[in-house]
Amino acid sequence: MAYAFDFSAVLEYREALLAGTGRTLMLTGIGAVAGLVLGTAGAVSRAWRLAPFDRIFAVYVELIRNTPFLVQLFFIFFGLPSLGVQMDEWQAAILAVVINLGAYSTEIIRAGIEATPRGQIEAAQSLAMTRRQIFFHVVLPPALAKVWPAICSQVVIVMLGTSVCSQIAAEELTFAANFIQSRNFRAFETYFVVTAMYFLLAVGVRQVLALTGQRLLGRRSK
Amino acid sequence: MALVRIEALHKHFGSNHVLRGIDLDIEEGQVIALIGRSGSGKSTLLRTINGLESFDDGSIEVDGEHIRPQGTDLRALRMKVGMIFQQFNLFPHLTAGQNVMLATRIVRKMGDDAARDLAKSMLLKVGLQEKFDAYPDQLSGGQQQRVAIARALAMQPRVLLCDEITSALDPELVNEVLAVVKNLAAEGMTLIMVTHEMRFAREVGDKLVFMYQGRIHESGDPQTLFANPQTPELAGFIGSIN
Repeated sequence: MAYAFDFSAVLEYREALLAGTGRTLMLTGIGAVAGLVLGTAGAVSRAWRLAPFDRIFAVYVELIRNTPFLVQLFFIFFGLPSLGVQMDEWQAAILAVVINLGAYSTEIIRAGIEATPRGQIEAAQSLAMTRRQIFFHVVLPPALAKVWPAICSQVVIVMLGTSVCSQIAAEELTFAANFIQSRNFRAFETYFVVTAMYFLLAVGVRQVLALTGQRLLGRRSK
Repeated sequence: MALVRIEALHKHFGSNHVLRGIDLDIEEGQVIALIGRSGSGKSTLLRTINGLESFDDGSIEVDGEHIRPQGTDLRALRMKVGMIFQQFNLFPHLTAGQNVMLATRIVRKMGDDAARDLAKSMLLKVGLQEKFDAYPDQLSGGQQQRVAIARALAMQPRVLLCDEITSALDPELVNEVLAVVKNLAAEGMTLIMVTHEMRFAREVGDKLVFMYQGRIHESGDPQTLFANPQTPELAGFIGSIN
């Protein structure tokens, strides 16, 4: 007997899907902003060899880039309470996303900073700017513009990766999918819909990021 | 009292002794042309005057600001010494006007309106008032260099250092930049120029300084030196250029 598709069994749960989508976006948004701030701090520490932060960030980057996100999340949520650090599932999920994106964006932004022509910095020094002024006004904006496409990709990867936060019962989109298919037993329809939703989210987030880059960083960040 | 006083200046790059005891006094309003073969130390000497290069021994004083071999607050010095580079070094993410305004706003702490007015008048001075909103990559090399001059002038320096500022330009763009520099000289700006433009050095320069193997080998009035070099090295150098 052929399988009879029934997507209405999924649409019944549209509120759960929308709530999950909202939380996935929230996790991505907070993670992206805080992760990029952390990544910028890491990038300048490493590119300009600001001791001792350059070493600390080097270890941190290697640690995060060579371990699975799921294990990082479990470590924060299940491991840290043993040291007395208690977090709810959202705090743990946000922290894990920020730490993860922070590590990858450290390396991406560092590439942009290191591509700054030496002469630009000398010109800024000759204008009596401080190191901090040079970084924020002269080095960072073109550096971010150069690597913005890579940053956009990384943020989308992180957004898709937030689906594993369902494993600590953070009720984001994948958690909603698991919940729905356990109720309606319509695994195909449920995951089909959720796959399509992730796809649209990824395309949408990429667009928003590209536009944000053009607004904030000018014409070069395409 | 000299505006710039350089005494017994020594610098090494590793085992390479690039500046071997430079003494040079520059008076306010003078135009100094530093010439010499590549590797003679002329650019290095220029770059020590605003602290872009450190040095090992000796002293530099610019308008009362001392630079010592170690640990000086270079910002006070750099408020008085502007610099223009071979590669222009405009900030690519800022328009011409914003390039000129940036340091006046954040270093000299001028208000937005005052900084904008100053930037406009500086761009007018270099003949680019209509390019206020153009980005560097929309400008020719000569225009970029003139914006760089406007940017340095906006800080109202006492001395302007020019490091081969026409060497990266197409030949037909050289004159528009030199014309701007000539006007500055006529207005009494103190200029120290590393240059390969010998005709310009001769016409506009008050003093020619010929560097050879890390020393000032010969210096004096440009007209006289070009007509009558005292050393075979300068004679050879002039011969090789013409």
